[in-house]
Amino acid sequence: MRSGELARSQESRETVGDYSVPDARMRCRDVEVWYGDKRAIHGVSLDLGRNEVLSMIGPSGCGKSTFLRCLNRMNDTIDGCRVSGSIQLDGEEIYDRALDPVPLRARVGMVFQKPNPFPKSIYENVAYGPRIHGLTNNKTELDALVETSLRKAGLWDEVKDRLDAPGTGLSGGQQQRLCIARTIAVSPEVILMDEPCSALDPIATAIIEELIDELRANYSIAIVTHSMQQAARVSQRTAYFHLGDLIEVGETNQIFTNPQHRLTEDYITGRFG
Amino acid sequence: MTEPTTQAPADLARGHTVSRYDQELAKLRGIILEMGEHVVEQIQGAVSALVSHEGSQAFRVLDREPQIDFLALDADEEVFRVIARRQPTAIDLRIVLALSKIAGDVERAGDKAARIARQTIELDALGRGEELLSARLREALGALDACACCMFEHSINGVARFDVRVALDVFEREPALYEASHAVRALLGDEGQEGLSARQTVCVLTCAHALERIGNHAANVAEQVIYVAEGQDVRFRNREILIETLRHRML
Repeated sequence: MRSGELARSQESRETVGDYSVPDARMRCRDVEVWYGDKRAIHGVSLDLGRNEVLSMIGPSGCGKSTFLRCLNRMNDTIDGCRVSGSIQLDGEEIYDRALDPVPLRARVGMVFQKPNPFPKSIYENVAYGPRIHGLTNNKTELDALVETSLRKAGLWDEVKDRLDAPGTGLSGGQQQRLCIARTIAVSPEVILMDEPCSALDPIATAIIEELIDELRANYSIAIVTHSMQQAARVSQRTAYFHLGDLIEVGETNQIFTNPQHRLTEDYITGRFG
Repeated sequence: MTEPTTQAPADLARGHTVSRYDQELAKLRGIILEMGEHVVEQIQGAVSALVSHEGSQAFRVLDREPQIDFLALDADEEVFRVIARRQPTAIDLRIVLALSKIAGDVERAGDKAARIARQTIELDALGRGEELLSARLREALGALDACACCMFEHSINGVARFDVRVALDVFEREPALYEASHAVRALLGDEGQEGLSARQTVCVLTCAHALERIGNHAANVAEQVIYVAEGQDVRFRNREILIETLRHRML
């Protein structure tokens, strides 16, 4: 039947497609992650371009979230977790012993699956990061930064009259946008999103997806999602992970219309497992 | 006609996790294959009516034409349903898009068979008589019919298995189709009208043109078979280079 690349590549675990992009914001090479004796990521190389949304898809346990968490050293907090290989942010090795992970996590922000606002006011949720990182000099500047961040997150008009209300009192979708505003407030270069819409209804999901598209103008975004349609809608490139291997990476249009690896095709067409 | 198979192509042998999805795609493909079978019968019936002076058969062809139209509507409905419910991707998306286009080509091939039947009825109305078509004209039309019909059957068999080899066979028959079509036109144009009146000549030329178009529809179907199997849109590509490239890859 199919006599081309797909047939030839069905048994291979070599990454199909070009994992590199010119002038990458983040450059990962031969990344391996171990949890004790168990190797969770097998020598993955993948770039994150500037002003692009890169989606990472794959079945549960494939390593996509583990890989995402390597990008801002979130795995450092897990006992027994070791990361090897090279991960660079603008040419700087992020696993360099001399590098402080705290400012790194401001440069590479993260939005999680479940909205997790601080048990503080809407204003304080956004102001907290800039304050501890010393990004503003006075209250006026801080107010302006809070407003800008909430505007970028598409939340300002909905909360401008109740900035002192608790962040936890917002709806799920609003809480997630508050978390995005909190991330934006510390001027990141990269935003990591780990299934940011999985706890949201379709309307809230659509608003977040619209926001992701707008944020791309200023940030590089890597998103892990279980929703194939979401990956197809929001990203410019898609990476498919399987059992710790990066199986295929390519333009999202190509991945969803004509994937070159059998495993990718099986997964996105619902033939997996 | 070779019995169309409903066996899944190799790439689709591993079913979806949601088995109903497989059933929906199989149903869509089944409708197209059924349309293809009907169209082949229609072509054979119409050409037989034309060359064998069986006028009543031409009316039967026209009577059966709506069946194909109804199946085309069924195919469209299934396409909408699958897209709405499953949001197909990758090979599934290509299958649905290709089958939608194939349904159009098969339906139009059925229209051509009906056109031949209508021309046959008109020839009868003009009082064509038993020996209106000369032996060599009947032979030339028979050769064109054989070529067009064979291409069409092959293309439908290609759909049954999404088989690139069968699709390439269709392409390889295109020169013979044009040669046979040219032979008919030569008999009626360059070498005189074989004793036919101008109006009778137009009727026969219309039939010949319809047969050539059936072959073209078969080639369009074959292009879609390759699109599904290879993920390449091969429309408007040089046929010779395409055949050579794909044959080489299959070695």
